[in-house]
Amino acid sequence: MRNALKIASVLAVGALALAGCGSSSSSAPAGNGSSGPTSSIKVGMAYDIGGRGDKSFNDSAARGLDKAKADFGVTTQELSAVAGETDQQKAARLTLLAQGGYNPVIAVGFAYAGAVKTVAAQFPKTNFAIIDDSSNLQPNVANLVFAANQSSYIVGVIAAQASKAASVGFIGGVNVPLLQSFQAGFDAGVKATDSSAKIQDKYLTQPPDFTGFNAPDKGKTVAQGMYDSGADIVFAAAGGSGSGVFAAAKSSGKLAIGVDSDQYLSATPDVQSVILTSALKNVDQAVYDFIKSAVDGKTLTGVQTFDLKNGGVGYSKSNPAVAPYEAKADAAIAAIIAGTVTVPNTIG
Amino acid sequence: MKRLKRLALMLVAPVLALAFAVLVTSLILVASGHAPLGVFTSMWNYGSAPDSLALTLNLATTYYLSALAVAVGFRMNLFNIGVDGQYRLAALIAAAVGGSLHLPAVLDVVVILVVAMLVGAGWAAIAAVLKNRRGVSEVISTIMLNYISIGVIAYLLTPDRLAVAVQGSNNIGTQPIPPNGQVPGFSVIGGAQNAVYGLILLAVACGVAYWYLLGFTRFGYDLRATGLSPTAAVASGVNVKRMVLISMLLSGAIAGLVGMPQLLGASYTYSLDFPTGLGFTGIAIALLGRNHPVGIAFGALLWAFLDTSRLILDLGGVSKEIVTIMQGVSVLSVVVAYELVRRYNIAAQQREVGRALAAETPELVGQGTA
Amino acid sequence: MVANHDIDITVRRGTVHAIVGENGAGKSTLMKILYGMQRPDEGTIAIEGEVVALHSPSDAIARGIGMVHQHFQLADNFTVLENVILGDEPTSGLRLDLGSARRRIRELGEQYGLSVDPDAVVEDIGVGDRQRVEILKVLFRGARTLILDEPTAVLVPQEVDELFRALGELKSQGLTVIFISHKLDEVLAVADEITVVRQGTTVTSVLPADVTARKLAQLMVGSELPSPQTRLSTVTEDVVISVRDLTLATPEGRLLLDRISFTIHRGEVLGIAGVEGNGQAELVETIMGMRTPLSGDITYDGKDIVDWPTRRRREAGIAYIPEDRSRHGLLLEASLWENRMLGHQTLAPNAKGPLIDRAGARKDTARIVSEYDVRTPGIDVMASALSGGNQQKLIVGREMSGDPLVLIAAHPTRGVDVGAQAAIWDQLRAARSRGLGVLLISADLDELIGLSDRLEVLLRGRFVAEADPATVTPEELGSAMTGAGGEAA
Repeated sequence: MRNALKIASVLAVGALALAGCGSSSSSAPAGNGSSGPTSSIKVGMAYDIGGRGDKSFNDSAARGLDKAKADFGVTTQELSAVAGETDQQKAARLTLLAQGGYNPVIAVGFAYAGAVKTVAAQFPKTNFAIIDDSSNLQPNVANLVFAANQSSYIVGVIAAQASKAASVGFIGGVNVPLLQSFQAGFDAGVKATDSSAKIQDKYLTQPPDFTGFNAPDKGKTVAQGMYDSGADIVFAAAGGSGSGVFAAAKSSGKLAIGVDSDQYLSATPDVQSVILTSALKNVDQAVYDFIKSAVDGKTLTGVQTFDLKNGGVGYSKSNPAVAPYEAKADAAIAAIIAGTVTVPNTIG
Repeated sequence: MKRLKRLALMLVAPVLALAFAVLVTSLILVASGHAPLGVFTSMWNYGSAPDSLALTLNLATTYYLSALAVAVGFRMNLFNIGVDGQYRLAALIAAAVGGSLHLPAVLDVVVILVVAMLVGAGWAAIAAVLKNRRGVSEVISTIMLNYISIGVIAYLLTPDRLAVAVQGSNNIGTQPIPPNGQVPGFSVIGGAQNAVYGLILLAVACGVAYWYLLGFTRFGYDLRATGLSPTAAVASGVNVKRMVLISMLLSGAIAGLVGMPQLLGASYTYSLDFPTGLGFTGIAIALLGRNHPVGIAFGALLWAFLDTSRLILDLGGVSKEIVTIMQGVSVLSVVVAYELVRRYNIAAQQREVGRALAAETPELVGQGTA
Repeated sequence: MVANHDIDITVRRGTVHAIVGENGAGKSTLMKILYGMQRPDEGTIAIEGEVVALHSPSDAIARGIGMVHQHFQLADNFTVLENVILGDEPTSGLRLDLGSARRRIRELGEQYGLSVDPDAVVEDIGVGDRQRVEILKVLFRGARTLILDEPTAVLVPQEVDELFRALGELKSQGLTVIFISHKLDEVLAVADEITVVRQGTTVTSVLPADVTARKLAQLMVGSELPSPQTRLSTVTEDVVISVRDLTLATPEGRLLLDRISFTIHRGEVLGIAGVEGNGQAELVETIMGMRTPLSGDITYDGKDIVDWPTRRRREAGIAYIPEDRSRHGLLLEASLWENRMLGHQTLAPNAKGPLIDRAGARKDTARIVSEYDVRTPGIDVMASALSGGNQQKLIVGREMSGDPLVLIAAHPTRGVDVGAQAAIWDQLRAARSRGLGVLLISADLDELIGLSDRLEVLLRGRFVAEADPATVTPEELGSAMTGAGGEAA
């Protein structure tokens, strides 16, 4: 068994070397030939479908990786998933990284939960991290999760203040528990600020149809419906579909709230003004912190929650129009950190 | 001698097609600055490692079942594009039933498999009935049913209905199937960490049954006759509507099994990340294997091997979509190659007959045994 | 080219040149080569002294060669005009120029005596008109040489005369016609020169004045002309199948069969005469259970079978030689032994319970091949590899197997060479004397008159006349078929 494993790793590494020939490797160590810091740590990163360049979740993780690379000089290797994979294929990807000596290995997205469980048991000396899942309690696994309900609560507070008609909307990309926690927080934030406010909640698609995360047309239609029925600010927790929501806001002369990253900064200039703020989910920070812990020799394990308190989630202030509402938002943050307010995590 | 020649003719099409696919892929690799030989070698080295081989066999198992489901229809010119929806719905219901069952080990598995087949067949039957009663093309109806099945699954896969939420996870799935309903894997490949699905035997059994059904039964003859010439089949007494219904049910039942190796051999629950799109892979593989049970087996293994070994490509900075291109080109070119070989074959046989007549020896007929 | 070796033909401009030969003699292959559908392995084709290579039908068309196929290639729900221009649409700018096309079709029609209403829908016009459309199609594309493959097979005598007049017109205006047929009387009547092909070789070229039909037939096969005459009546008193008031309609309610009644006794051949498209195919398909009649009864062997599915009828002993063998009689891309099973796949020697009996089917196929002289190198070749005549022999052999009580035979010798035709006639006669009842449909009036014990004339889905084959002439029958003659004989 052990021997075979060795042979397998030799083969895999040999293959790596071969594949490296004549290829424009994307994983040249940052430290080589430059005066930056160097580290012997090799970080493996397994993305979900879309990989680096998806302008969303995976990209956010990639930013954290890039920052860690620049700051610590770690070596990195990135692999990404294809549609319709089985757990075994995902496990094979993680195995490939673990066998290649990458430690820690970061799996981006809850779809990797099963694969991480399998591979972490096979490689007890390798540290793993999984983002957006907290079901894995093996000693060499860190679960990096986000209190998105808290950031959603804060943008709910802002939305309730900004709404002149006391009518707001929530659009979730896909109706999964993760997005439901966004809705729970948002609704609670709105109600806490203006108990009379009307809230419309909609999801673009139902699982297993995950297209709701990347369907601007659907986002636009649903948002338009909300604006037409009186809402004047809509929280678009819908990944790539958000651009449709922003377009609807622009054409209706209403407002919208972005999600995950500061979408005011990444949006095209013509819709920038309608993005009042964004509920931030700093995946990049989580990735960076995790790698930092590995570089420091104190690799994180267990459930690591990124919340308002440690700055893992928050809201953006880059749109100056949000300034009038900041006071109440910041007060809500303080209350949550202090524990005087508890944000619900589930709807209903 | 003649049989050997015929076998060679059968093989020439896929071999030509593969060679062409490799050529196209190589050109793209060269164009993007990679050495094709190096890339292929690294794929081979990684793909032939024990773990990869086990994974390949597991993928091939599901691909094979999916392609068989498609091929049953293809043989009578019935295009079941709905295998995708059929297996997903079947897997969900079977998983839910399996999660609530507490039966003795073997019986438990049998019940789950039967439920899956019934659900798959039932879902496919809708298309058959629409075709027979209303003349709706099964291509259209099965594609539409794929979308409807997604909606149905979305409706059913919520904590109020068939799903349970997993603590601390963003995933939801059905109640996990207890060990009695699980099918243990084999460690057939020395040194592999992962086992080979026990249900690979089911796939093999399905293949043998398919081969026997088509080649040796009256039903199989009727099915092939309908595929070769619907008009002649009708004139020969085949009830085409009945054939449409039965073969659609068969196709759906096999489709129902597609998700089973994964469900009973690995995940034990139908959750949001249950593999999707296997039905479409099945279409490609059925084409690749020319609806022949052995051809499909090779097609499924090849496809699975490529899917497995492509993992290594990222590591070398080669876009792994290159494998998708290779798969696509090989399917396209195999279709073209089969057509060319088919035409060549007809012409060759006509020439053969002509030669026999020119030799003025009409008594050439041998007793000829198969 | 092995099917044809040493074919040597010279066709002079402005003549009708007939090519005659047995089926499988290489006529079809020769035509395909001339029309660019197949390429010769050796040898050359010269047009007006210039050696040309024809790679495809479009090459041939560009060289002024046009082909009128035996089976019409028309879109039924298009008008004549649309059919003629299909694939060669005249345009002015981006717009279809229908006006000028219509004018041109009228001109061509008048010029060659081929007038057809350009705006009639093809499914509404008769067989003769359809053939004119096929010829117009070819002329419209500028053909100067026309190849006609068995053009008279589907025509009644009067229509044949009209066709020949048109061919004469074409000839007089300098066009060349290559005329393929094995109806020797017609060939002698219309051709300026005749080439006889046998086993892929040109036997000889003769002038019609120098030969008789009998001589020509001997050149083709080297044997005596067979005769379809049935001398001795074998009709018995036992009714084997009777049809009463059978009525069939389209979904729109148009009647295809109108109260058809007849009775066939054991040992009797009932011939149905009629121009193609008057309900023969529908009658046969209704008797075989492939169509559901509106009303009426079919009694077979004492049982009412009108609700039986096709399979049960076949299992009960109704044999069927379909009119269109490639559509209804064969699986072209399956082997001969698999074709032996078609229509009999539930019966011995082809089946054992729910399984098929390969060995039994193969053995019986070999028997049919030798008994019916199917020319093939083996029983594993595809049906499509055989010539039309040999395919037909296989079908006849298959349907005569298993001692049927009734044979529904549509054009049993269509496309079969003279020698095989005689063999099939002999088989039919022998089966008849053993008590087989036959419903015979044929466009070959000599065959009908020669084989039948009784004749009915079918016109627009109704029996309009009866005739006694002992006294009726083909001309009289032809008149009755077109509804012109009234009661024949």
